[in-house]
Formats: sequence, C-alpha cells, structure tokens
Amino acid sequence: MTKYLTRRLIQVIPTLLFIYTITFALSYLMPGDPIRAQLGEEYYRLPPETIAAMEESLGLNRPFFVQYLDFVTRMVRLDLGKSYIQKEEVSNIIGYRLPRTLQLMAGGMFVSLIIGIPAGVVSALKQYSWIDHLLMVLALIGLSMPVFWQGLIAQLLFTQSKTGIALFPVAGYGDGNPVYMILPSLVLGTSLSATIARVTRSSMLEVRGQDYLRTARAKGLTPRLVLVRHHLRNALIPVVTVIGLQVAGLMTGSLLTETIFNWPGLGRAIVPAIQTRDTPVIMGILMYGALTFIVINLLTDLIYAIVDPRIRYA
Amino acid sequence: MASIHKSTAVPDTAVVSLGEMPRPTNQRRFLRAFLRNKIGVLGLVIVAVMIFSAVFAPVISPYDPNKTNVRARLTPPNETFFLGTDEYGRDIFSRLLYGASISLTIAVIAQTVSVGIGVTMGLVSGWYGGWIDDLIMRLADAVFALPGLIFLTVWVSILEPSKESIYLALGLIGWAADARMMRSQVLSLKEREYVIAARAMGASVPRIMLRHLLPNGLAPTIVLASLGIAGIILTESGLSFLGLGVQIPNPSWGTMIDMGRNFTTSAWWYAVFPGLAIMITVLGFNFLGDGLRDALDPTLYD
Repeated sequence: MTKYLTRRLIQVIPTLLFIYTITFALSYLMPGDPIRAQLGEEYYRLPPETIAAMEESLGLNRPFFVQYLDFVTRMVRLDLGKSYIQKEEVSNIIGYRLPRTLQLMAGGMFVSLIIGIPAGVVSALKQYSWIDHLLMVLALIGLSMPVFWQGLIAQLLFTQSKTGIALFPVAGYGDGNPVYMILPSLVLGTSLSATIARVTRSSMLEVRGQDYLRTARAKGLTPRLVLVRHHLRNALIPVVTVIGLQVAGLMTGSLLTETIFNWPGLGRAIVPAIQTRDTPVIMGILMYGALTFIVINLLTDLIYAIVDPRIRYA
Repeated sequence: MASIHKSTAVPDTAVVSLGEMPRPTNQRRFLRAFLRNKIGVLGLVIVAVMIFSAVFAPVISPYDPNKTNVRARLTPPNETFFLGTDEYGRDIFSRLLYGASISLTIAVIAQTVSVGIGVTMGLVSGWYGGWIDDLIMRLADAVFALPGLIFLTVWVSILEPSKESIYLALGLIGWAADARMMRSQVLSLKEREYVIAARAMGASVPRIMLRHLLPNGLAPTIVLASLGIAGIILTESGLSFLGLGVQIPNPSWGTMIDMGRNFTTSAWWYAVFPGLAIMITVLGFNFLGDGLRDALDPTLYD
C-alpha cells in the first residue's frame, strides 16, 4: 500500500510539470497582453517608452524560454508570483479562494450522495414499478438542465417573496454562514445526484443475482442487513468510480455555480484572469485545479480498497 | 490498477453495451423494440419538433427576432407575445426559434467532428493494438478527465470564439467515449470469420476498416452520438452563458439566459424560457439515446 501510494505521488510531479508547460505556452500564445487589457483605451495614448517600461517591470519583454524557466524555478520554490493586474500574491488569491471552491464542491458532492444513492437503491428494489420510472425520468431531467439555469430558478423560487418564498439569501458567501451554502450546493449537486442514482440502480441490479446474497439470506440475516452490508456495499464500487470521473464535471459546475451565486471561489477568479491575460493567476489556478483533481482521483482509488477488500494495491 | 479502471470506469453517458449493428433481418426487430419504448419515442418526437422549429424558424416565428419595439419592452407573456419580450421589446418566442437553429447546428457539427475523431482513433487503436493502442487510450483517459468548460474558456481566449474554433474545441473534448466504444467493437469484430476471411484474401487495412469494421461496429456510436449532442448543447450553453460563445446577431439559448439574468426579478420569463428550451431539447436527445440503447441491447430485458 505504501509503495503504491509513493508511486502514485511521484507520478504527480511529471503530470503537473506537463500541465504547467502547456498552460504557460497557451497563455504566452494568447493574443493581447496584460498591459493592454489593463489600460484599455489609454494604451494607445501613452508613449511607447512608458509601455516598454511597464513591460520590463513585469518581465514580459524577455524571450519565451527565459520567462518559462523563470516560472518553473519559481514554482519549484512554491512561489507563484504576483498577479499582473491586482498586484497581489497569487498564493494569497488562491489561499482565499481554493478553500471556498472545495467547500462548494464538498457541498455538491454531499447533496448528490444523499439524494442519488437512496434514489438508485429504491429504483432498483422496485424495478419497473411506477416509482422506478418516476425516479429515472426525474434523473434524466436533472441531467438535462443547465446548472446555471437551475441556479437562476432556485434564486427565483427560494430567495425572494416577490417570485417565491424568501428562504435563503440570494447570493454571496456571508462570511462563512452555512445558510449561504445550501442553495449553491443543492444546485451543484443536482446533476451529479442524477448520475449517481442511475449508476447505483444499474449496479444494484447487476449485483442482485450474486451467490453471496443468497448465502447471506440463507444464513438468516435480516433483509435490511443483507441490503446494507452485502447488496449495497458491493454495488457501490462503480459508484465510487463514477464519482472520481465526475470530478471534472463538478469543477465545471462549480465555475458556473460560483458565477450565479457570486461565490468567491477559484472559478470566479479564472474567467477575468483569462480575459486580462493575467498569466500568474491563470497558471496558479490551473495548477491548483489540476492538483485537486489528481488528489481526489487518488482518494477515489484508495476508497476502492475500502469498499472492495478484494482490491489490493501492490 | 489499470484493469480495474477499464472494467468499471464507465461514465454515465457511456453505459452502452456492445450491441451489433442490426443485420437486415434484425432491423425490423430493432425498430419494433424501439417503438415499444415510450420514452424513446417521446425523445424522437421532441428531437423532430426541435429540428423542425430550427429549420422553419423564418416561417413559424411570428416576429422578426431582431426587431426592437421600445413600447413593448419586458412585456410579460400574453396573447400578442406568447413568451413575452426582452429589454428591447423583441419577441422571445421568435428569438428562441432562431436560437434553436444555432444551438442545434453547433451541436450537430461538433458531434460529427467528435464522432469522426473518436471512430478513427477507436478503429486504429483496436486494430493495431500494442503501443498505439496504449497511447490512444491514455490520451482518451486524459481527455475524459479534462474539465471541458475550463478548457473551452482557455481555447476561445486563444483562438477567438468563431464558429469553427468552437466546433473543433467541442469535438476535441468529446471524442474519448466514441473512441473507447469503437475500440471495444473492433476488438470483438476482428476475430470474426468474415474479417479474418477478408484479411486472408488480402484486403487492405483501410478496406477492412471501411467495409467491415465500421459498418458493423457503428451502432453503439449512434447511441453515444445522441447522448453526446445532449452534452454538447449543455456545454455550449455554459460557454455562451459566460459570455464566451459564438458571437452572431441571433443569440444562442445560453446567451439569452446570460442576458436575461439581469432581469430575473422584474421579468422572470426572459431567462426562464431559454433554459426550458435547452432542457426540453437535451431531454429529447437523452430520451432518444436511452431508447436506442435499450432497443440495441436485448440483454437489458431480463
């Protein structure tokens, strides 16, 4: 196990370096530059010497490889540099925003499991009944709604008495007050819960005929124990896989959910950073995004071993 | 480790079993199985209605989608304006009809690109095996793991959000599922007698691929394509919602939601109806895909 973990952790380094290189090359290729994006119209009025001086102060006038090496050596020292636009340390920006994005993703994940797994189990136990059909159609509807539209509808219905009931705050972070988290988490979790319900259902149905379930029943376990300890537990393996695969989707969803609910996460920082060509911020956020992704996938693989003891990592 | 991934790593949209292309004798059975599935037929109807609206938008729409009417701005739905108007007094129903052709065209072309890339990759990967197979499949894994919308955001910043660049980008994100599906089809097909016979007779590799592997392995890809179009419509709407979509005079549905969200409290209909249009269309393609899958795969009925 330790050996496997070490190998996986060592693989992280080349992966990150690869993503880093690609991202840097891409931000270098993007048309426009941070100075022009920042100055707007004024860019054309300032004397070229001033512009050149600004470029020099940011180090933008140096050749591609010099800039690249500079970025890489700084990253090795865990120094992400300063934002070109906000004049703030990128590590501060990320230090503030990353926990908030993770918080939202965790909220969405929680909602999706709480809704998705019971729905899938009920559907499978009552296969072809009206409740099975209803739940599966609901799941498809959940998968078919754009997440940002769900956010708008949720705001209309649950945040103001004019168009619905004023249950929750419209948007914002509210200094960490958990009430502000409920609606965004529900919205983010909807489509994932639909996916989880579908996978749980088909996996429950697949496991249904296994011998060990018959054995468990035969030795006199209560139906409830058979369901929880034998049926559901074995059916959860594909669900864990799907959760791992859906991390990318969860990140995309959180980008849109943050936009709707004015949530101060990474997603809301990256779009303006791309528009202003703020390379240090783009690189920093994408690196942390990639790292989050890799870590969650690693955790998923470790959870396999817990859910299914047959899996041993050498 | 890798084997665990391969056997269980099926994302929801890719849960398609390996049906074979229905041979002529099977085609009627396939059709009957499909028609028996109410949800699938409903999906087909929705998709047909949407395509019809998109194609005949100029005929059906009651108003010019770009004609402003200051006196009728932000009118709630009534008998003159079926779904209300926007902040310039433009008819939302007419704009939705024109938006349908934009959203559907983007989705269909992008899906064609992605099927083209995916099927080619899958054919090559399955036929040659070895390191080529490894390379293509690891690439597919990487594409699967990519947060699509973030990739698109960076992509359009570099290449400008023109139609062509968006088709290409959406195609580049979507091919992995098609490639995996085609590869698994090829792996089973290449052991069949008729393929072995074709090989023994000295048929060239492109000929075997085009004449034998492609037609016989394509059926599940059609299921994936239907589900893929649903996914692309959603992704494209997200991109438009962020203000990074295709810039054309007639807005896509996502752009309309983005514009309407500034008016949600005073004019709910502005942002609600475009979203409903997206939802119904995507639902149609998902229903259709599910119906086709069930009809192709008799093992699902136990």
